[in-house]
Amino acid sequence: MPIRMTDVSRSFGDVLAVDRVTMTVPQGALLGLIGPSGSGKTTLIRMLTGTLLPTSGEIRVLGRAPHEFPRTTREVIGYVPQDFVLYPDLTASENVGFVASLFGMFWWRRRRRVREVLQLLGLWDVRHRRAKELSGGMRRRLEVACGLVHEPVLLFLDEPTAGVDPLLSRDMWEEFRRLRSTRTLLVTTQSVEEAELCDHVAVLHRGRVVALDTPDALRHSIWGGEVIEVTTERPVEAEAFRGVAGITQLRQTGPRRVLLVAEDAGAAAPRIVEAARAQNSGVASIDPYRPSFSDVLAAIVERADREEPTDEAAA
Amino acid sequence: MISLAKSLTRITAIIRKELRELARRPGAIVSLMVGPLLVVALFGAGFSGQRRAIDTIVVVPADSGLPFEMGNYRDVGGEALRVKDVTADAAGAQESLRRGEARVLVTLPKDLRARFERGEQATLLIEWNEMDPVQAGIAQATAVAFTQELNRQLLRSAASSLGIESVSVGSPGVRIPAEVIASPLRLETRNNAAARPSFMSFFAPAVLALVLQHLAITLTALSMIRERTSGAMDLFRVSPVHAVELLVGKYLAYGLLTLVIAASLVALLGGALGVPFVGERLGFARIILLLTFASLGLGLLISLVADSERQAVQLAMLVLLAAMFFSGFVLPIDEFREPVRSLAFAMPVTYGVALFQDAMLRGGGGTPQWYEPALLAIGAVLFLLAAGRLRATMRATA
Repeated sequence: MPIRMTDVSRSFGDVLAVDRVTMTVPQGALLGLIGPSGSGKTTLIRMLTGTLLPTSGEIRVLGRAPHEFPRTTREVIGYVPQDFVLYPDLTASENVGFVASLFGMFWWRRRRRVREVLQLLGLWDVRHRRAKELSGGMRRRLEVACGLVHEPVLLFLDEPTAGVDPLLSRDMWEEFRRLRSTRTLLVTTQSVEEAELCDHVAVLHRGRVVALDTPDALRHSIWGGEVIEVTTERPVEAEAFRGVAGITQLRQTGPRRVLLVAEDAGAAAPRIVEAARAQNSGVASIDPYRPSFSDVLAAIVERADREEPTDEAAA
Repeated sequence: MISLAKSLTRITAIIRKELRELARRPGAIVSLMVGPLLVVALFGAGFSGQRRAIDTIVVVPADSGLPFEMGNYRDVGGEALRVKDVTADAAGAQESLRRGEARVLVTLPKDLRARFERGEQATLLIEWNEMDPVQAGIAQATAVAFTQELNRQLLRSAASSLGIESVSVGSPGVRIPAEVIASPLRLETRNNAAARPSFMSFFAPAVLALVLQHLAITLTALSMIRERTSGAMDLFRVSPVHAVELLVGKYLAYGLLTLVIAASLVALLGGALGVPFVGERLGFARIILLLTFASLGLGLLISLVADSERQAVQLAMLVLLAAMFFSGFVLPIDEFREPVRSLAFAMPVTYGVALFQDAMLRGGGGTPQWYEPALLAIGAVLFLLAAGRLRATMRATA
């Protein structure tokens, strides 16, 4: 496991930024860390990259405690910080070349890799342009290029698509997904759509990881089964399906539409048709329903708040 | 009217914003106000306004018949000269003058009595090794005063030994002119400095030293502050780069830049302003590198205590102000009291001014031998301090 965190906490004075986080990231995974601003994402990344010590708990990254990384380990870690930290007066290729040199790449390999990453991120044509003359999206891509240039096996990206237009953001995520074939990526984001593109999603809320799984599994876990949308031929009350074996939740979404959560949708379908008939209606269709991931995340956060309310909420 | 009111609203908003920003950076205000006050206070407390007595060696030729006891000459120099040695070794005394151990050398005539008795003036040779036109003028005036006093004492001595009524002090039949009786000694002065620069030529190397120190300090301080405030330090902390590698890279880059600037300035000073350069170029390059090394360290020190570019610039300006007052650029360091005089030697530019003037105008060898090692030591201490601090910064934050 490239990343293993056990009961890790980090405080800044009285503020608990990260609270008892335990998680592992498997080799070749693309883990999305999602949460609102101030939820502890950057603090977590800084602890994993060795720039911040945890207050308690144990972190192992590539088998070592991050603050004790030897040079050989640092050489295979990539980091794209949240803020623009490149040199505005250097050109795009000079910036990438500088970072490649910091990671000890010799010029022949550096030359080839600078070209490769600039082409990969669509910056080759502006390679001679100074960083300060690039657009916001180009700068962000330039930073990602700097993070990738030394071919790290483990890459930390702190909100890499913040301020990037949606089309470009989609391209960058395609690239992240392609990269996971050879490396492990941990990406923080505030975008629900982006989180859904990850192999695994960790939901951070008030410094705690309140859910960690694949996007589909998270969906399943929050609804407790498969969600199906039933469309009847005549208006039927959702309550008509209460008591149908295998149905755990129901919600009316229209006069002829009902959302049902079934433990096994296939097995429940005949019983749903039967219940509709009992209400003098036929069933026009039964379709699997894919709730939006933002609904899923909202539900996860609500559940976390119910299980452990904030001080204000408790008051 | 509404437009004017809106304009006033905007202006007052800007005023409030600026004042709030300033109030929230007390460090900047303190360095802005207290710094210059401190420099002026140090100047007031440390500057005596009195010239220190000039260290003088008196050479008495062995067969001159003149006394060797220091007490005979101590009063002659008055407050202006301090006779530190009386010797017959003329060559040794010349070497002391060359090395700067004494600033004035008085060589008494070996045939004073014989010449006097022949009715002739004997020659009193007073030498100094001073490039500074101001100091050379002071030495000249002091030499005249010294000769007058010596003549007076000789007359007094003659009067007491021969009797005031007697006028025949020479060989029989020799008439002693009134001029010889009034001044048995004729002053001859000599400035042994390799160059007699004009005021502009003399101060040009000092300005060069000041410029190089200020350049090195400002460039390094700003560069390091930018690394810190831009977040690049986070990248360094994650990457395999070591604090010493970072420092060496910066030192070499700015060292090279300063060397190029210094070479260009020296060429400009010589070509456009006619400032002479009589020294050895390699030795001069070594002094530039030493001054740059120490100044870069001072810049790093500033970057470690400043929290913003603005504060770094303020501190760099304060160092420049202190350098102007205390480095010997305008006022001789000798005219400061302790401990301000010693504090002056904590600044790289103090050595830079002396070494540059010596190397460019005199050809070297005219400053104390410990100046270059001292500059190297200051640079090394500052480098170690900066490396230690940077290593701590790059370690994981607890």
